[in-house]
Order: sequence, then structure tokens, then C-alpha cells
Amino acid sequence: MSVFVIGYYSVLIAASCLAVYLERRRVFMLLFSLTLISFVAGILGGVSALRTITILVAVFALAAGVSYAFKEFLIQISRPGLARELRTAPLTAAFGMFVIFTYAIAGIFAPWIAPHGQAEVISTSFAPPDANMLLGADQLGRDVFSRIVYGARNTVGLALAATVLAFVMGALAGLLAAVKGGWFDQFMGRFADVIMSVPSLIFALLMLSIFGTSLLVIVVVVAVIYSPRVFRLTRAVAGNVVVMDYIEAAKLRGEGDWYLIRREILPNSTAPLVAEFGLEFCFVFLLIAGLSFLGLGIQPPTADWGSMVRENATLISFGDITPLIPAAAIALLTVAVNFVVDWMLFRSTGLKG
Amino acid sequence: MGRFSEKDVLLDITDLQIEGYSDETWVPIIKGVDLKLHRGEVLGLIGESGAGKSTIGAAAMGYARDGTRISGGSIEFDGMELTTASEGERRALRGSRIAYVAQSAAASFNPAHKIIDQHTEAPVHYRIQKRMEAQEDAKELYERLRLPNPQEIGFRYPHQVSGGQLQRAMTAMAMSCRPDLIIFDEPTTALDVTTQIEVLAAIRDIVDQFNTAAIYITHDLAVVAQMADTIKVLLKGEEVEQATTDRMLTDPQEDYTKSLWAVRSFKRPQKARPTDGTKPIVSVRGVDASYTGGDKVLDDVSFDIYPGMTVAVVGESGSGKSTTARVITGLLPPSKGEVLFDGEPLPPRYEDRSRDQLRQAQMIYQMADTALNPKVRIREIIGRPAQFYSGLKGSALKQRVDELLDLIELEPSQYYNRYPPELSGGQKQRIGIARALAAEPDFIICDEVTSALDQLVAEGILKLLDRLQNELGLAYMFITHDLATVRSIADEVVVMQNGRVVEQGPKEQMFTPPHHPYTDLLLSSVPEMDPNWLTTLLEERGVDNIGEAAGETKDGSEKASSA
Repeated sequence: MSVFVIGYYSVLIAASCLAVYLERRRVFMLLFSLTLISFVAGILGGVSALRTITILVAVFALAAGVSYAFKEFLIQISRPGLARELRTAPLTAAFGMFVIFTYAIAGIFAPWIAPHGQAEVISTSFAPPDANMLLGADQLGRDVFSRIVYGARNTVGLALAATVLAFVMGALAGLLAAVKGGWFDQFMGRFADVIMSVPSLIFALLMLSIFGTSLLVIVVVVAVIYSPRVFRLTRAVAGNVVVMDYIEAAKLRGEGDWYLIRREILPNSTAPLVAEFGLEFCFVFLLIAGLSFLGLGIQPPTADWGSMVRENATLISFGDITPLIPAAAIALLTVAVNFVVDWMLFRSTGLKG
Repeated sequence: MGRFSEKDVLLDITDLQIEGYSDETWVPIIKGVDLKLHRGEVLGLIGESGAGKSTIGAAAMGYARDGTRISGGSIEFDGMELTTASEGERRALRGSRIAYVAQSAAASFNPAHKIIDQHTEAPVHYRIQKRMEAQEDAKELYERLRLPNPQEIGFRYPHQVSGGQLQRAMTAMAMSCRPDLIIFDEPTTALDVTTQIEVLAAIRDIVDQFNTAAIYITHDLAVVAQMADTIKVLLKGEEVEQATTDRMLTDPQEDYTKSLWAVRSFKRPQKARPTDGTKPIVSVRGVDASYTGGDKVLDDVSFDIYPGMTVAVVGESGSGKSTTARVITGLLPPSKGEVLFDGEPLPPRYEDRSRDQLRQAQMIYQMADTALNPKVRIREIIGRPAQFYSGLKGSALKQRVDELLDLIELEPSQYYNRYPPELSGGQKQRIGIARALAAEPDFIICDEVTSALDQLVAEGILKLLDRLQNELGLAYMFITHDLATVRSIADEVVVMQNGRVVEQGPKEQMFTPPHHPYTDLLLSSVPEMDPNWLTTLLEERGVDNIGEAAGETKDGSEKASSA
């Protein structure tokens, strides 16, 4: 019995007792079940298993602490109205916002943060991490950390541009279809159906092999693939708004379609659209990463998380985690965005669960 | 309270306190209300919206809605304390011993199941009856509630049955387990006067037959006078006073109660048509209209509206009142006939009308909630028509908005920057009026503007409309099914039935016999403040000759049932 094991159990049991004393039932249940799990894990895995649990708990607690502090920080710096909204945010949403904030910083200040250039060969292939290269080197001897930081700028920036374009096209078409109705609505609806009926990845591969793989083409193709979904959502949301009496009042006043869309319908459909934006961003992001993995996305030597996974994929068989780092970066961002979106959906629709 | 002895107490609520959660704090909604209900007693709960009537009704079942909590006091139902009872115990009471009839039966029935299947759910669940027994019982209850075709009607889906019948079916459903207590939450508010009677008569009858205790929640005093043994008046979560119905009607003690009683007294002098050859401002000439591919909804409708006068268009729902308004505004082009404005024919479609033609005729809607964009500030809602038609900008626009807010008796500085959801129902309706006024029209269509409001608030709106008419010389087309409103504000009345104008003329002529049979039916169906009104009416007409049945016989023509 090492000092660590004795300390481990005494801390857990003391904390459990404290939770009981303070009548925090859920905290107690959590702590004590952890204690019981640790018994089993300790017997099966020995001290190292207990150390792993400690590290996981510490990371989890750290993330929770950061989220909590970040939420308070946001509440302090924002306007009173916004602050009240933020107060309702769960810790997961705060965590998501913190991660997005971090990625944004990394993307914007990439040249200053990254110690090396994204195409700069500074070492041998697959060199292990050292003081100079935090995460080691890739198959050409480039610094993985620097490439991850640049990747935040390239991949996320591209996904953002494509999503924004998809939203501008889809939302505009949806709003117009809802306001105009009739044959225009039918035409747009069927047109969207046609695009949606082609599998997105195949459609993207086809278009990219026809038009080449320049950045502009990628953005436009991805936006076209995703705009029908936005169109359908916007049309449904706006469809519920256009039947309201205030729209009738505005029409009877003689207002044009553009005024109706801009001043009457859009303010009443922003909440679901913003939530959808977050969700679509994830899909677009994954599609672009997928395209890069297949070699049709962002072209080398530009750093991109999807292609970084592919290029280093061979290392997985050697038990190295290097290819998993860009994959983890993708996963973390997707999870973070979804946390925020969940909270927004909850606010806008009262969706429970 | 001579009829009820102390040991028959069924529900005993003492010092009930309920709080609601808003803006991160718990604010009291019900501030210590006592209530005692005996077996077989009907208690009327009345008050404006927000007075806490429905909250108390729900609390009588031991239920607090989302965002509210019972924070103090006790609710004792037949010797069982509901505030401390477990959720399971309370659930066992609901449906079997305490039943609830909601305001809108149409919204409360599940549209995907037949009525009788929903009816038998509770008795089967509580193992009181077998399924077939419960169905037989349902048919018997339908018969007692005088639903047409009681053997068959339960096997229809909710949308195949009319609103009044559905409300009766819901009452039958509440009766399915023979509960000790039924809570009626505004069961007739959404119905027409003619339909209301049949529901009232059926409810009163069945509650009497089974000696069930009931809490009857409503804001209509005349209705509660027919139903209740005892009346309790609520104001902002506190009890104002309680007395037996007779005493309450003849001798109210508190000022607030007296003011409620006096609401229906507002009446303005009737104006006559100008005789100097002034043209009518709006003239509807032989209009036929139908919705796409449907039957004729309007059939040869003609009437005139003169400047500065109020023409009330009355009739039950489906009679074509609102459709007429849609034809006048141009939302529904007529298939025959035309609408003249100041002697000039208006283009049938609103898209073809000039900006000035659109400006002249404005509309005030029934539901202020849906008529005002919730995401737009008051200053823009009112300011936009002024900006749109008169091209006002900057400080001139602000001045105009202030002027309009003054006109509708709201303090400009306080409301200028607010959003509609922050306002009360009456205030929203005033904003709706201001928006119509901002266009400086000569003619305003008021579509059931007071029917969603409490009586005190509604009276305020009517007075405001009357004042504006005198100051600005407006002409109103007043669509309503409430004859009390007609009596107080109209100059002329147009009675519509099944898309036809059955009678029209000056108000006084309409309210003095002889009437058209349908007008007579409408007039006699309006509840009066006399507790014996319903009994007398039923004696006069006979129990089988009320509501829709009366419509059919008096009309003489074939009126399709809603099936």
C-alpha cells in the first residue's frame, strides 16, 4: 500500500462524508460510487489504474472549473440582457464556448502562436516530441503542433465560409418561398429535393473532379450541398410566421416582400436558424475534413486536420497517437459546437432532454 | 349556505399560497386564499385573467403547473392532505375522483383517437369498469347530455364533431368515473352564445343528477350566475369576497365586485344615418365569395357603412362575418359583386390597390398576441405606418408616435421602447388600435376586438374606440358575436347567418321585437344576470330546442351538421 493509494481513498471517503454532512445527495452519490468503482479498478488494474482515474477526474474537474470561470467572465463583460441569458447556460455550453473561443484565438493568431511554419521541414520523419516540437514531427519532419494551429485557421475558416454561404443561399430561398408561395415555392422545393437526393459525398467528389480543387470551388460545392437543408428549415419556420396576423397587417399596408422578410419574418425565425447554423457547421466541417482525407479537399502543403489524419494514418499501427491529435481536434470542436447548439435549441424551442 | 352542512365538506383549502418563477425569483401568485366546497355544491370562481382562477382550480387537484409551486397552506380533499401526499397518491385521485374540463375541448382531445376510446381510458385504467361496460356507460352519459345520436357519436374522431358537442363529450368524459369533484375551466368561453346554452344546460343538469361538486371558473358573470350556488370573486391572487349567488348579484359588498357588475352598463347614444345625401364610406354590393374550390361562403351580401358610424356585424362562427371583412380588405377577391369606397369601386385584390386606398381602410384584430410582431418594438409597430404612408422621419416621426400613444392613453416614455410580450392583453389591443390610427384612416374594421379580453378591460377598449370615433370621425365595422358589445357601441346592426344577411337596420329597431327568427334566437341566447334565466329559457324553448337544434328549426332550412 503506497502513500498514494491511502491518500486516494481517504480523500474520496472524506469528501463523501462531507457531502452527506452538507446534504448534497447527488454529489455524495457521485463520490461514493467513484469510491466503489475504484475498489474494483484498484484490484484489477493496480495503482496505475487508480492514477489514471485520478488524472481523468482532475482533467474533468479542470474543464468544469474553466467552464465555470469562463461563464462568469462572459456574464461580467456582457450587457445586462445578454448576461441574463448567459446565466441560464449549463456548464456544458460554457465549456463549448470556451473551446470555440480557444480555436478562434488559435486560428486568428496562428502565425504568432505556431513556433514554426506549416510547410517548414525542421526535423526527421516521425521524430518524437521534444522541447522544440511539443507533439513531435509528421511524415516529412514538419512540426505537428504548428500544423494543428495552422489547421485551425485553414479547416475551420473554410468550413465557416462554406456554412455562411450555405445559409445565405438556403435562408434567402426559404424565406422567399415562404413569402411568395405558389409555383415559386413548389419549384424551389422540388429543386432542393433533387440536390438532396444525390449522396453528398459522391456529389462533392464529382463536382471537385470536374471543377478542380481550388478553395473557391470547395466552398461553393459544399455550400450547394448543404443549402437545401437550410432551405427546408427556413421555409418551415417562416411558414409558421407568415400566417400570423401581423404579416397580414403588413401586407395590407402594402409592404414589399423584402420588408416582410427583413423586418417581420427574420426576427421571428433567428433562434432556430442560429441553432441550425451550429449544427450544419459541424456537418460541413466533417465533410471538408472527409474530403481532405480523400485527397480532394485542401491541398498540401497547406495544413489541414483531415489530411493530417490521412498522412499520419500509418502510425496508428505502431501505437503512436500522432494521427489521433488532429482527429481529436476535430472531435473536440464538433462536441463543443454541439454543446452550445443544445443550449440554444433548448432556449429557442423549450426542447427537453 | 343553509343547504350544506359542515360534515359534507369535500374540499377544504386554507391559506393557499402559490408562487411562480420569473426573472430568477419566486413571486407570489396566490396570496392566501381559503376555499370550502361541500358535496354537490357548485362554486363559481370569477376574476380577470391573471387573478389566479385557473391556478386555484389546478391546485384543487394538488397540481402546480410548470414554473409554479405550492408554497404554503393546505389542500384537504375528502380528509386527504394533497400538499404532502406523494405524486402517486395524487395521480390516483385525478380522473377517478377529481376530473377536469378544459377551456378548449378541440385542443384537449387527442385528434388521433376516437372520442369513446378516450372516454373509456380512465375507467379502464382505474379498473372501475370493463371496456365494454365503460362504452355502454359512455353512451348513456351522451344521452343524458343530450348529444345527438348518442349510440354513434362516440365512434367519431374529435374533428368530426362540432365545438359545442365536443365540450359536452368532454364533460361526459369527466363524468366517466363518477368523480366527487369536477373542475370546469372556462368551458364555454370559446363557444358562440347559441352553442353556449346547450353546454351550460347539459353541465348543470348532469352535475345535478349525480350530485357532483364543481368548481366553475369563468370571467363571464352572467354564466356563473346560472351555474353556481356560491360565487367567489378573486383579484390578483386574493379573495375579494364570497357569497351565495343570489346575495352576490343583489347585494355585492366590495367596490371591485360592484365595478364588475356595472361593466355592462356602458352605452353610448345611437347615431342616425346622415340625411344630407352623404355617400356611404364603404358599400358592400351583392358580394358572393368562396374559398378555393369550396362552397359559397358569402351569398349576396350587401350593406352600407356611413362616415362616423358604427355598424356591428353579428352572427355565430361560420356565418361569414370575418369573410366579409376579408373581402373588404381585399384578401379574398369576391366571385361576384363589388365593394365601393366613397362611391369608387375598390380593386378586388389588395395587391392592385393603391397605397392611399390601403391606407383608408385599417383593421384591428381579435388576437392582439398574433397581430403584433413580438420581436419589434412598440415605436416601430406604431411608427411604421406613419413612416410608410406619410413619409415621416426622425423627430417628426417620434412626435407622431408619442401623439398616438397619448391618444390610446398609454404613457409614451414608458412604452416607446418596449416589446409586445411585455404588455398586458388590454395594452396590446391598444397598440393594435394605435397602429390602425397611425395610417390616418377613415374606416376601421374591428374583428372581435374585445372577445379575448376581460370585461373591465374590454369596456375600456370600447370607451376608447368610442372616444376616437367622436374625435376623428371614424367609421367602424364591428364584427362580434357578443350582443352586449353590440348593444353598447353599435349604431346599425347587420345579422348574418350561413353567409347571408338575414336582417339589418338601426340598433334600436333590431333590439325591439318583432325580430327575424334567427335574430330572436341570438338575442334570447345571451346570458343575463338573472340566476333563473337559464331555467326560464329552457322552460320556454324546451330542452330539445336549444343550441344547434334551435338554429335548425328556427332557420327552417337544412343546416348541415358538422360531421
